[in-house]
Amino acid sequence: MKNTYLQLAQMVTGALVAVLLAIHITVQQSDVVLGLLGIKVAGPTTWGSMMERAHQGSWVGIYISLLAFGLFHALNGFRNILLETNLSASAMRILTGCIIAFGVIFLILGTYAPIALFSSYR
Amino acid sequence: MSSDAVKKITFRVQRFDPEKDRKPHFQEFIVPVKRGTTVLEGLLYIKENLDSSLAFRTSCRMGVCGSCGMLINEYPHLACHTQLEEFHADRLTLKPLPNMPIIKDLVPRLETLFEHHKSVKPYIIRGDNAEMEKPTAGYIQKPHELDEFLQFTYCIKCGLCIAACPTSASDLAFLGPQALGQAYRYCADSRDEGQDQRYQIVEKDHAVWNCHFAAACSEACPKGVDPALAIQLLRKGVAAKALRVKKTTAPALLATSLPQAKPKIDVPEFTVKQK
Amino acid sequence: MADKGPHQNYLGMRGWIWAGNYKLERYLYLLHRITGLGLLLFGLFHLTATTIFRVQGQAVWASTIDFLDNPLFRVGEFLVVAAFSYHALNGLRLIIQELGFALGKPVPPIYPFTDAIRRKRAWTLVTLAAIMILAVAFFIDFSIGGWG
Repeated sequence: MKNTYLQLAQMVTGALVAVLLAIHITVQQSDVVLGLLGIKVAGPTTWGSMMERAHQGSWVGIYISLLAFGLFHALNGFRNILLETNLSASAMRILTGCIIAFGVIFLILGTYAPIALFSSYR
Repeated sequence: MSSDAVKKITFRVQRFDPEKDRKPHFQEFIVPVKRGTTVLEGLLYIKENLDSSLAFRTSCRMGVCGSCGMLINEYPHLACHTQLEEFHADRLTLKPLPNMPIIKDLVPRLETLFEHHKSVKPYIIRGDNAEMEKPTAGYIQKPHELDEFLQFTYCIKCGLCIAACPTSASDLAFLGPQALGQAYRYCADSRDEGQDQRYQIVEKDHAVWNCHFAAACSEACPKGVDPALAIQLLRKGVAAKALRVKKTTAPALLATSLPQAKPKIDVPEFTVKQK
Repeated sequence: MADKGPHQNYLGMRGWIWAGNYKLERYLYLLHRITGLGLLLFGLFHLTATTIFRVQGQAVWASTIDFLDNPLFRVGEFLVVAAFSYHALNGLRLIIQELGFALGKPVPPIYPFTDAIRRKRAWTLVTLAAIMILAVAFFIDFSIGGWG
């Protein structure tokens, strides 16, 4: 049942990424959204606004889970596409290994910034 | 046919002879047609009158055997089931079904289709081997149980769904909509006990999870089988089994295990006088 | 299995894009794949950029944001959000339908035949309309200077 669990995980992470990324995109547009309601806020991409979020544990949690779920969903999806290109089983094994290594490197790279910024505040 | 012909249509047919050609090429034929002429009749006219070397498969002429599947104006059809009128055109392009090798001209090699079909165990599997080897009675199936899979029994193995499937286009090992649809047809049958065996087969790479629900197979199916629906329902079963939420139902009983109903009126033992 | 050769007639990856005159639903799959690959590429770029430039402090961050504040990147950002809207909503539909829900039951094949996904076409069109509205809203937001 390995493939079934993998595909169910693909579906669950897909749904989670849809929600988390929608939050991320909406917040990145919050000045425009709140501006429509007459509330003026600093742009979310300014250093101050960004650091404010970086120092809140909930935001760090959202960013890291978005990263982890997003990387799994995207790289597993990419592997599924490769699986359909008629590659040999051995080539597929090598590529799967590369994709996992690539995912781990990007996970470390991506978690470094929020954790470094969060711990610098402490 | 020629005496009451009312129109001439150009058939642009893809030709390929493995003994002579390096790659396929097109040849044009002018075919006289009348109201109701099918593409298959046009091809038979070419074979009888214009070029006897043209190769295509045909058998029943009535959309039952699934032999004459081909790409007509870039869409998979059964040639016998398709009238020329419906195209409203003076030219028709005929190609063999894609996503399978060409034997000659319009004849595709369906070997992989049948191998994949065979691989999903398309037959009733029961625990009681003695009964399967030497049946003593039929199994009881209620109408609503039959409705669960009846639509999928109409598959004629013509290969049109495989020609339409984007995954079958690039993944030669993909089981394809035909085999996966038939795997569900047997898993959904209340007489069957082979679900676990089939789930293990379709759960592997190049199988049920590599369908992306483009649903071109269902659009192309000439018998209304809807393999895309069957595949999604098969996935539901595979996922429920993996998550251990699948309801288990007892397989259908043998008809002998029911008490015999007494007929309302007495039926004579013989309706023909015995000598 | 047969070797791939000139007369093998497999459409290959070309078959993902076009295999014949099929209707709308065949292309939802293609768009899902294209937007998915696009978002993967953007995600890796975005992740690298925000990590490398953010940890270097305020000055580098501000200059990066200044550099990205031009029409080309704004259109790019719009395309990313439009791709995300499509991929997310179509993905949610796929999660539901690929697990066999919201498709109805098998029906007897009586001519003219219908199939489960096309019986739900009204919902497909509603979802596409929602994506179009989101895309237009974000286009105004990103690319033509907001609502003011």
